[in-house]
Amino acid sequence: MNQGSADKTRVDRTARKTVGDFTHPDPRITCRNVSVHYGDKCAVRNVDLDIGRNEVIALIGPSGCGKSSFLRCLNRMNDTIEGCRVSGEFRMDGNDLYDPDMDVVLLRAQVGIVFQKPNPFPKSIFDNVAYGPRIHGLAQTRAGVEEIVETSLKRAGLWEEVKDYLNDPGTSLSGGQQQRLCVARAIAVNPEVVLMDEPCSALDPIATARIEELIDELSELYSIVIVTHSMQQAARVSERTAYFHLGDLIEVGATDEVFTKPQHKLTEDYITGRFG
Amino acid sequence: MSTPALALAVALLTILGYWIGRRRSFAVVANDTSKLHSRPTYHGFYVAIWCGIPAAFVFFFWVLFEGYLITDLVVAGLPESVVGGLSADRMNLVVNDILNLASGNIVATESDPMLRAAADHYIQLQSMSRVALVVLVLSLAVAGMGLSLRAVQPHNRVRNRVERVVQIFLIGSSTIAVFATIGIVLSVLFEAIRFFEAVPLSEFLFGLQWSPQMAIREDQVGSSGAFGAIPLFAGTLLISFIAMLVAVPVGLMSAIYLGEYASRKVRALVKPLLEVLAGIPTVVYGFFAALTVAPFIRDNGSLLGLDVSSESALAAGLVMGIMIIPFVSSLSDDVINAVPQAMRDGSEALGATRSETIKKVVIPAALPGIVGGILLAVSRAIGETMIVVMAAGLAANLTANPLEAVTTVTVQIVTLLVGDQEFDSPKTLAAFALGLMLFIVTLVLNVIALHVVRRYREQYE
Repeated sequence: MNQGSADKTRVDRTARKTVGDFTHPDPRITCRNVSVHYGDKCAVRNVDLDIGRNEVIALIGPSGCGKSSFLRCLNRMNDTIEGCRVSGEFRMDGNDLYDPDMDVVLLRAQVGIVFQKPNPFPKSIFDNVAYGPRIHGLAQTRAGVEEIVETSLKRAGLWEEVKDYLNDPGTSLSGGQQQRLCVARAIAVNPEVVLMDEPCSALDPIATARIEELIDELSELYSIVIVTHSMQQAARVSERTAYFHLGDLIEVGATDEVFTKPQHKLTEDYITGRFG
Repeated sequence: MSTPALALAVALLTILGYWIGRRRSFAVVANDTSKLHSRPTYHGFYVAIWCGIPAAFVFFFWVLFEGYLITDLVVAGLPESVVGGLSADRMNLVVNDILNLASGNIVATESDPMLRAAADHYIQLQSMSRVALVVLVLSLAVAGMGLSLRAVQPHNRVRNRVERVVQIFLIGSSTIAVFATIGIVLSVLFEAIRFFEAVPLSEFLFGLQWSPQMAIREDQVGSSGAFGAIPLFAGTLLISFIAMLVAVPVGLMSAIYLGEYASRKVRALVKPLLEVLAGIPTVVYGFFAALTVAPFIRDNGSLLGLDVSSESALAAGLVMGIMIIPFVSSLSDDVINAVPQAMRDGSEALGATRSETIKKVVIPAALPGIVGGILLAVSRAIGETMIVVMAAGLAANLTANPLEAVTTVTVQIVTLLVGDQEFDSPKTLAAFALGLMLFIVTLVLNVIALHVVRRYREQYE
């Protein structure tokens, strides 16, 4: 695209059609024409987006723009919210996620989620991580469960800190440790996609850096969709970035391009801090 | 001035004090209230407190002790020839006669001039006391108002003092429950001690025979009384156990349905309906048990070839169980609702089903509250009286067979204290010993359950 005089080529603020290429050459999940309503209120409007295999995609945008609502559609966590309606097409490896025959339990085992606020169960650290493998019968023996717990905690970078305290309650950990425990819990069931809903918003910079390292390591194995309010974080961890505004997907593109050469006026205003 | 009129006068003075204090606070700063440390309302309350509380205190204690004091004065004024050598009981009768004469009631010894004089003395003292009371209370109220009005100054920290008084009142209110408990325990305890003077503690605690009939006269045929409480406690526990067998599963499962599965509409309809069960008077449950459930069980039992007595522990226990369902369900439902949604989301996000989430996350997190609800229900079951009086029977059988009639501690307390009694016979005093035991049992249950809850709860943030 011609990048001559910036302001003239930029898409006008009023345009609501997605700018940039929302497809991915090797898609894991494809979403077409997605809308989410809470009662009469429309939270996400006609969004098309692909989630690629082993990519990290960041969803950014001001509060209330629909990025979390969109994220929660991907493993149907919106089902539990009363009055929430989801329309559009979601396909993971060709299977319709919202097919009435779709087993939500299996879907959630494949698409894990880490929430904004760490929510470890009021159980021991060990039981927190072993929870998923146990309900899915991933290990038949105690030793098998122990192995899964150890691998997951190691991958979440928490093993060294808690290996001697596995029977302490998960709630006794610090905030950053709790969030990593939640990550360990999510990856213990061997998901293929990990959704992260502002995973660092309650954490200090050191714990945040730790989580970001973790995202880097995990991206070798999983597709990761991360919702974040921190543009630096999106720039650091993601390969692609999608900018949402008031329920519309405004712009999608390679992260460095979105941050250096945003094509839509709204995107530019947001990342240059003209509004939040 | 009569007592209610005086009380009204003090109340009016208090309100007047509030109003004057408030007005005065505006006046001292020429309506610029920003110069006041405390808001005008606080000045008003301050004056009202000083006006009302000391006067009310004196008023209350004066009325409380006036009667005793005057009686003592009158008795002291009686001539030695009358009082000398009278026993306490006889003395009481004389005092009663005087009081009756004073209040104009007709008494047998109307003609006795000595008593007439004493009654006149009494009336005279009483009217003096009344005048003194009115003067004292009203002058206290006015003096309090006057003194506290001088405290209406811009820099006086009146708000802090008013709040201190409010705090003292709150502390006082919260201690009333404690003192009431202590009072109840002591009154039961003293009577129980008198019982244990007549019947050894070991016989009461470990005796297997309960038959409290005592011979009233020496020559009467009949029992000497047996006070073994074991059959009563066994009966209580049997019925409570049956009741809990009904109430805990039904209550808990309905709480889970209401808290986790029911839509908002169903919940809004079903929860109040369940709580209606708690509002039914126990007497109504009682005749439901005695007239409907017990015959039903007996008839069906005889069809099966079982020998069911018409008053059975089973009938009483079943109905009692229905009665305490709302205790279990309502409290459990509240604590299940209090478990944060984030816990459920976390579990379901890992691919747990709704029921796995409930079993492994929600129930463990809600357990302390659930145990609390169950405990309350157990205390209710043990202390429940009306249903068992009507449906369980009076025969103190020591049995574990729920089809037989048993009796409970509460039923026996009722039968011991209903009708004419003499309060120096072990038969009557046994009721207090039973009450004390019942109290101790519930207390111990509470302590144990509290301990269990603290030990095993899974604490969420």
